[in-house]
Amino acid sequence: MNKIMPIILTCICLIVPVLAQQSEQDYSTAQSGVRFAPLHIYLDSGNSSLAAYQFELKAAAGQIKIVGVEGGRHEAFKEAPYYDPAALAKDRIIIAAFSTGSNLPKGRTRIATIHLQVAGDAEPQYELKLAVAGDADGKEIPAEISFEKGEI
Amino acid sequence: MRIPSKLSADLNALFEPRVGVPPEVDRAVMDRAHKHFAALQTSKGRRLRVHWAWRIAAAAAVIIFAFSLDLTKQTTPTTDRFLLSKTQAADIDRNGRVDILDAFKLAKQIESAGPAETEWDINGDGLIDRSDVDVVALAAVRLDKGVL
Repeated sequence: MNKIMPIILTCICLIVPVLAQQSEQDYSTAQSGVRFAPLHIYLDSGNSSLAAYQFELKAAAGQIKIVGVEGGRHEAFKEAPYYDPAALAKDRIIIAAFSTGSNLPKGRTRIATIHLQVAGDAEPQYELKLAVAGDADGKEIPAEISFEKGEI
Repeated sequence: MRIPSKLSADLNALFEPRVGVPPEVDRAVMDRAHKHFAALQTSKGRRLRVHWAWRIAAAAAVIIFAFSLDLTKQTTPTTDRFLLSKTQAADIDRNGRVDILDAFKLAKQIESAGPAETEWDINGDGLIDRSDVDVVALAAVRLDKGVL
């Protein structure tokens, strides 16, 4: 028994630092200035009706994690758009949606809101690129995509 | 009856109990016996200790491994492998890429109840319906492709 005790103590000595490190990491994550911010995505299709869109967003600088995706303001795009669930908790996402209805937006409209977790004090920079926008006939139309940082 | 003294002496010599183990021999035997059993005891104890040491080491390894993994991380669901193999079929407008316009065109086709091509049954369930549209749309937003 007196020989087993050192082994047990050695194990405890190994385990305790691991546990301490783990809880320290959790604590530091909670304390390192993590905040949540929405990013509103707008698409301006000019005079054309917007029936479908697809874009990609990624962080060019800063530490962000995508935590949620919301639909747009217009009725045609109110539902949550399509995205790869694997994008959640990452800093890159491809988002797309379409509407086969007749009530379609024209001009500048908010098509989606992306909810982000921002870590650190550095203001993140985003790269946003429109892959395609289409009208009610499924034809590609020129459009301009932009974003606005929102406040919670 | 009297026994001759010579005969008595011979008989005594013949049947006398042999009790005379020399003490040196006795000690040597006892020493060897002690050593033998002590060795057995030590070996058994060592085996027991090694056995327990392995158990404890294994338990410690498991615990350390468990804590080294961040169990709070959830495995991120990834797009169905089925989609990957159906990418070509998902290119509804055959322009060489799968995007949301493919899903849109398929959805319009389904809604208009126009002629459907069998290859539009993307998910292979025997029906061409909204779930096929979803498969195409999800193929379009897969993360392992991109436009940036």
